Amino acid sequence: MSDAKARIPSIWTTGWTDQLRTGTWRNAVAVHKKRGAPCHGACPVEGEIPLWVRQMREGDSLGAWQTLVAHNPLPAVVGRTCHHPCETGCNRNDYDGAVSINALEQYLGDLAIQEDWALPAPEAELESRVAVVGAGPAGLSCAYHLRRRGFRVALYDANPELGGVLRYGVPEYRLPRKVLAAEVKRIVALGVEVVAGRALSARDLPELEENFAAVFIAFGAQAPKMLPQFPRDDRRVMGGLAFLRLVAKADPPELGAEVLVIGGGSVAMDVAGCALRLGSRVRVVSLESREALPATAEEVEDALLEGATLIDAAMVKEVEEAQGGRLKLRCLKAELDPAAPAGAIWPLEVAGSDFELLADTVILAVGQDPELADWQESVELQGRLVKVDRRFMTSRPGLFAAGDLASDQRLVSVAIGDGKRAAGCIADYLQGGKRDRPKAETEAKTAAEATEETNAEAEAEAEGPEVAFSDINTFYFPKKEPRQREKVAACERSSDFREIKLGFNPARAALQAERCFSCGACTKCDNCFYFCPDMAIVKDPSLPLQYQVLDQYCKGCGCCLAECPRGAVSAKEESK
Amino acid sequence: MSYQIEEQKVFNSGHSACPGCSEALAIRFILNTLGPDTIAVVPPSCIAIISGPQPLSSMRIPVYQSTLESSAASAAGIKRALTAQGNDHTTVVAIAGDGGTYDIGFQSLSSAAERGEDIIYICLDNEGYMNTGSQKSSATPSLAYTTSTPAGKGTPKKNMAEIMAAHDIPYLATATTGYPEDLARKVAKAQRLTGGLRFIVALVPCLDGWGIPDSAGPKVSRLAVESGVFPLYEVENGVNYTLNFGPKDVPVADYTALQKRYRHLTAKDQEFLQKEVDGNWARLAKKF
Ligand SMILES: Cc1cc2nc3c(=O)[nH]c(=O)nc-3n(C[C@H](O)[C@H](O)[C@H](O)COP(=O)(O)OP(=O)(O)OC[C@H]3O[C@@H](n4cnc5c(N)ncnc54)[C@H](O)[C@@H]3O)c2cc1C
Ligand SMILES: Cc1ncc(C[n+]2csc(CCOP(=O)(O)OP(=O)(O)O)c2C)c(N)n1
Ligand code: SF4
Ligand SMILES: [Mg+2]
Repeated sequence: MSDAKARIPSIWTTGWTDQLRTGTWRNAVAVHKKRGAPCHGACPVEGEIPLWVRQMREGDSLGAWQTLVAHNPLPAVVGRTCHHPCETGCNRNDYDGAVSINALEQYLGDLAIQEDWALPAPEAELESRVAVVGAGPAGLSCAYHLRRRGFRVALYDANPELGGVLRYGVPEYRLPRKVLAAEVKRIVALGVEVVAGRALSARDLPELEENFAAVFIAFGAQAPKMLPQFPRDDRRVMGGLAFLRLVAKADPPELGAEVLVIGGGSVAMDVAGCALRLGSRVRVVSLESREALPATAEEVEDALLEGATLIDAAMVKEVEEAQGGRLKLRCLKAELDPAAPAGAIWPLEVAGSDFELLADTVILAVGQDPELADWQESVELQGRLVKVDRRFMTSRPGLFAAGDLASDQRLVSVAIGDGKRAAGCIADYLQGGKRDRPKAETEAKTAAEATEETNAEAEAEAEGPEVAFSDINTFYFPKKEPRQREKVAACERSSDFREIKLGFNPARAALQAERCFSCGACTKCDNCFYFCPDMAIVKDPSLPLQYQVLDQYCKGCGCCLAECPRGAVSAKEESK
Repeated sequence: MSYQIEEQKVFNSGHSACPGCSEALAIRFILNTLGPDTIAVVPPSCIAIISGPQPLSSMRIPVYQSTLESSAASAAGIKRALTAQGNDHTTVVAIAGDGGTYDIGFQSLSSAAERGEDIIYICLDNEGYMNTGSQKSSATPSLAYTTSTPAGKGTPKKNMAEIMAAHDIPYLATATTGYPEDLARKVAKAQRLTGGLRFIVALVPCLDGWGIPDSAGPKVSRLAVESGVFPLYEVENGVNYTLNFGPKDVPVADYTALQKRYRHLTAKDQEFLQKEVDGNWARLAKKF
């Protein structure tokens, strides 16, 4: 042996380089790390959008729906009514157009109704009982999330049918009743005790508190704001929500030929759409100019397409009796004072711009407030809202609140998201949970502020910074045309209340799901593995993230970061 | 989309390539495709550095370090010796830099191709004599800075692929590290098509020599293809041309913008480069 060894010239190889620790060269190491996607960050329900879109893309519709309903029990409803900030935030906007997330949500929601998929049964059966007052989206969401955790839930509502504004406000042509009914039924089927047709007041609180371990109130904002120019108790002047409620009950009022809708928000556009379908001529008078209307561009466009006329940047000065039982509105053009603080509207009259409008019916859609007269003795208020702390608790221990009565955001998604988070806080309150109890010194916050903070906290601890478009390696994503839902032609809409937006068919849904980058979420594409010149990443299917970075070899070049299509690999600085 | 590449473990971790080196990435897919029944010939170059440091090797196969002039001749000799011993299975591959291919080792390569030597010759083209400090070679493109062309190179890059095609060899391909599956496929094909010299020229961005970030090798490589600077194609028997990845309307300026070796370019220079690339592509496109 020593003979053979002696014969090996020194220029011959005696071993392999893998005994060298070239990892010592680096100052940062690659780590596989889930990062937040902007769609998720923008979603008030925190609905794990990239995950369910991916499940859908991989052909697992049931799994996708289950992910969806782990957060939001009303996907078919929200898929129709949400203002989808997820799409506004979508990284694909900077490339070839946002993923049509909202349409995909509707698609899965509708599929679940069609296939009669059931919600997962409660994790446990607990003793504690919780009363939920108000079965709008906030109450339904809270009841659902409490029930999933195993609490016994009684759900009270003043109306005979559940859904709140979704049932008695949003018109049938935007949200068919049978869709809402199917999703509500599924929640109730989890074992929620429903007490419908019973209005509760603050006077009922002691009784509720005696029978329930916690109480959640979400009775919304139903009281119309009125304008002093208009006569009260005149059947020709009505509130927008009251009008929509009658339409929803299939008992629409006589409107006459000429209808004026006052307001420029979403409710005004719904009122206009319904009045048009009931056969009246409709003009919408708004203080804001068309570009600045609070209603979304799509809502305005739809109302105009269906035949409404918009009289924007105008204000009603006086209302008089006119011939033929009509009302005469004396109006002026108005400009908004740019010096007004954010959120406030200070109209400036334009001199000499007077004009008159005649109406058989005037419908005021200038906002709603919660009806709190009855409650101010029992809970602390903040302006026109119920004051809650960051855990959604009111000033009264054990009494929680969310939705329109505690937030001025007035969105279905916010109501559902806050309902979900409130359920978590109620559970913590009842079970002495891990989360911090509301601290006495914590300054009380509105629900919206509270939500923002809990989101930010959770995100910072679990994930790296949100994925930006610049983190996406677009080489791996050929451009693909974005598609949104099609709509029934405007000329065919005015005759009835049939739904106007047409959901995706399976092929289109699959095509759009394909477009998602899966921002920040590893899809096991192996790019990090293949692009490492040092073979410092190995595949190990037993690991949760499948890949292991070999400390002794990673030189910290960052090729895996750059070649990850979706920003799911990060660099961790190391100091030596 | 994800890559599917079969790898056999021949190339080792712990090698001494710079962090992010595209040449090391190319060697990975070359050796791990060819497999353990391979003998490599490596002349002086970064490849030789990456294969070292003596007495350790990053390549789990026999490697012979030839002179810079003689890689093709050495490989041919080894192959003939194996054949004489009755070994008809071992692959012999020469892996050389552009200096060792376009310039110094050119005569031995050309004559080995002409003789129909049964070897694979792979040129890892980083467009300069990089391990000796970034001097120009005849593979350095127009206007690029090197330490020996401080004002930018005044002559265009030699068209090595077309020169080798003119030898009517059984197989020739261009490849680059931003397309690893394509590279591995071409190596496997070269291994299969025995009976003559098979030649692959692979563009491998040099992080230090080109002035690009450690993580940007694959990206720059793809931009070279998408801008038409370095189209990926194959030629069989000197005549059958197949385009794999051609230009995608990406301006050459997008490619040069990422590289410090081009940072002195004026708008006129950019225009000049664009014209040159367009002209080369027009000439090549006719052959597909
Ligand atoms: C016409 C209209 C259209 C809208 N369209 C959209 C839209 O397209 N997209 C969007 O995001 N948002 C929309 N919004 C806003 C959205 O509907 C609300 O923000 C959301 O419904 C608030 O949910 P909530 O659960 O807090 O209240 P609500 O939906 O108002 O539900 C409150 C529930 O409490 C019940 N209740 C009230 N008082 C009592 C009581 N005393 N005792 C027991 N029960 C009581 C009510 O019957 C009701 O069921 C719209 C609002 C309106 C008015
Ligand atoms: C005949 C000869 N001249 C010069 C050298 C010095 N030398 C060693 S490596 C090298 C650079 C080779 O460049 P290239 O082939 O492009 O390989 P790279 O370093 O760029 O990978 C030179 C000039 C040599 N070894 N032999
Ligand atoms: S591409 Fe997908 S994951 Fe990324 S923001 Fe858009 S929907 Fe969300
Ligand atoms: Mg070189």
